[in-house]
Amino acid sequence: MGRFWAVFFVASAVIAVAVSWFSPDFHWWFPGDGKAYSTLGRRIDDLFHLILVIVSITFIGTQAALGYVLWRGATMKPEDKVLFSHGSHSLEVIWTIVPAGILLFIALYQMDVWAQYRMKSSSPAKTEAVAEVTARQFEWRIRYPARGKKLQPTPQPDDVYTVNELHVPTGRPVSISLRTDDVQHSFFVPELRVKQDAVPGLVIPVWFDVLERRTGNKAYELVCAELCGWGHYKMKARVFAESDEEFEQWREKIAGEQFDDGFKKAAE
Amino acid sequence: MQRSCCYLAVGLTVLVAGCGKGPQSEFSLREETTDLIPDAQKVVKATLKEKFGTPHELVAWQRFPVNYGGVKGTVTEVAAEGKGVVVEWEGDAAGVTHGAPLIWASGARSAEKTSVGSVDKYDAAKKELTWTGGSDPAPAVGDKLVIGFGTALQTGRAVYMKNCMHCHGVSGDGNGPTAQYLNPLPRDYRSGLFKFTSTLGPEKPTRDDLSRIIKYGVPGTYMPSFLWLGDKETESVIEYIRWLAIRGEFESRVDNDLAGDFSQKTIETAAAKAKASYDAAKGKDKPEKPQSAAAAKNAAKDKFAEYLKSDVPELIDSSAKFLAEAWAHSEDAESLIVPSVARVTDDAASRERGRRLYLSDKGKCYTCHGMQGRGDGVATEDFWKKPGSEEYYPKRGLHDAWGKPLQPRNLTLGQYRGGRRPVDVFRRIYAGIKGTPMPGFGRTALKDEEIWDVVNFVMSLQYEQTPTKAKAAEHVVHAK
Repeated sequence: MGRFWAVFFVASAVIAVAVSWFSPDFHWWFPGDGKAYSTLGRRIDDLFHLILVIVSITFIGTQAALGYVLWRGATMKPEDKVLFSHGSHSLEVIWTIVPAGILLFIALYQMDVWAQYRMKSSSPAKTEAVAEVTARQFEWRIRYPARGKKLQPTPQPDDVYTVNELHVPTGRPVSISLRTDDVQHSFFVPELRVKQDAVPGLVIPVWFDVLERRTGNKAYELVCAELCGWGHYKMKARVFAESDEEFEQWREKIAGEQFDDGFKKAAE
Repeated sequence: MQRSCCYLAVGLTVLVAGCGKGPQSEFSLREETTDLIPDAQKVVKATLKEKFGTPHELVAWQRFPVNYGGVKGTVTEVAAEGKGVVVEWEGDAAGVTHGAPLIWASGARSAEKTSVGSVDKYDAAKKELTWTGGSDPAPAVGDKLVIGFGTALQTGRAVYMKNCMHCHGVSGDGNGPTAQYLNPLPRDYRSGLFKFTSTLGPEKPTRDDLSRIIKYGVPGTYMPSFLWLGDKETESVIEYIRWLAIRGEFESRVDNDLAGDFSQKTIETAAAKAKASYDAAKGKDKPEKPQSAAAAKNAAKDKFAEYLKSDVPELIDSSAKFLAEAWAHSEDAESLIVPSVARVTDDAASRERGRRLYLSDKGKCYTCHGMQGRGDGVATEDFWKKPGSEEYYPKRGLHDAWGKPLQPRNLTLGQYRGGRRPVDVFRRIYAGIKGTPMPGFGRTALKDEEIWDVVNFVMSLQYEQTPTKAKAAEHVVHAK
């Protein structure tokens, strides 16, 4: 029976590693096509991969040690003398200091990325405020300034409005003012690795950039990542990354529709 | 070991039971239907089932202008000794495959017995089709057929059940499981009334109106945007909603006709009243003893048996005809409200004219929307009578056609339920809001130019802190 458990635990670990290794091929990995489409997203992915390497080495090492110990115990003859290692001071010092060192390294190493995302002093100096995004049960309402104007904190007569469709220019840092009309929501664009809670009473600036315009499916999915009520699953929108020209054209088009007085139709 | 096996078995059973099918969804009946005497109720139920089916087996009554879906085609050539035809399709023929249901819409095969069949083989290159169900009588050139009839309604049902049903209810009565948590309440489609339309007062909404509501939601209510539904899904669910509204209004129209003579409540009230007056006058003029409620119901039953033969077929037919015409007419160009003049330039002068109209006896907007547009006019403080009765609503303020309390819109919020395009606001003022006390001013009280002035004023309220005060000063200057 002892040999069975030794094989069982080693085999489980081998299967786990194999599944993880091949999972990107089955699209069981990152959302979308697996790539991050923003500068920060790529740095976040790098951090993820670094941590993945550390835990993988640790996992394989501990599983191998576990398998070895189990196998040795199972194949021992009854007359063999057992090695009793409990209470080894140096061993305990090692396995306390090594993980602590690793954790400290990760904590310090990631600070830069965190600061870039969250600290004003480290985020890009020039971000363009493209829109105000207001989350509400259960949709995203978006307000853009008119062409050539800056986004104001309060609605302006020439603002342009959309629902569940955020359009942004590509290739440079942009920011949105995130608000909520009711409860807590979370602005989450998985393929850009952007996630920020929307908190009642606060206007939270969130910056991101979209590095490239994808051909084909231009839209990135925007979802709510904070359980906000019975319709949480319906809070799905799309982020369209466009060239400056396309963005302006689109804004003109929407503004034209929004200020439609219905009169032209009669003349046609 | 045995015990843990036992636990495992119990756990699995519970798990599997949890995955089982819930209760079957049913179209609920209106209160007016359940109030009819049993015989009449039975007829209404049977008619609804025959003409509209159940949520699981929909019946597409072809009389209505609902796009039930399917590919339409016309026979251009009869081949293989009447067993095959070459068909010219209207639109995409991708759905024409073996086993797809087929309906002959015109020609010799459209007779009742041979009208329904299915596709046997289809050669996409030659556009040649054979069918099951015999070749007698043979089709002729020019015959029309439909493949996959009803698929849009089925898709619509699937989309509706997944996304809409939990608020709007299986039968569109606005009474789904989540409805109890919502304020304002979800729309009850069954009266065929939709608030935010681009059509004239008595008209139904257009497909475009429903599409805008589904795509962009209704801010200020719980109706969210469903922009992420695909085009096909949106189109199908619009047809399903139109069909549900027609079904509900059909039931309502039949009920209204029958309620006069066959409502249990009316019969009981009449009998109780007669008895009371008999008791009061007892022994004086020796009046005849009135019928008891049970006897009156029996009499109504006999009367209904006669009415069923003489009038009910006509009633069903006329109700269907009315609805078919109403829903078809709403899509006509003449039903659409199109401003006769372009928007009046949105300047201070126009807003000022609008403000005066807002406060004038012509507009009387302030009685509900308040002097400053905050939705707190004097009408919200009054008690109002229920329509067509002497009884008052128990709560102060305005009520909608569904009998629920209603707040006049606070115009300073910049929240536009029916859309924020100037033409949307124009249409609200022109034709009013259906099912609410908001009246239409177009063609009667206000000219189109005047409506634009009011639109300009109303749309500026969001940006002005104290509109009345600031404008009042200007008004004095003008008066000099």
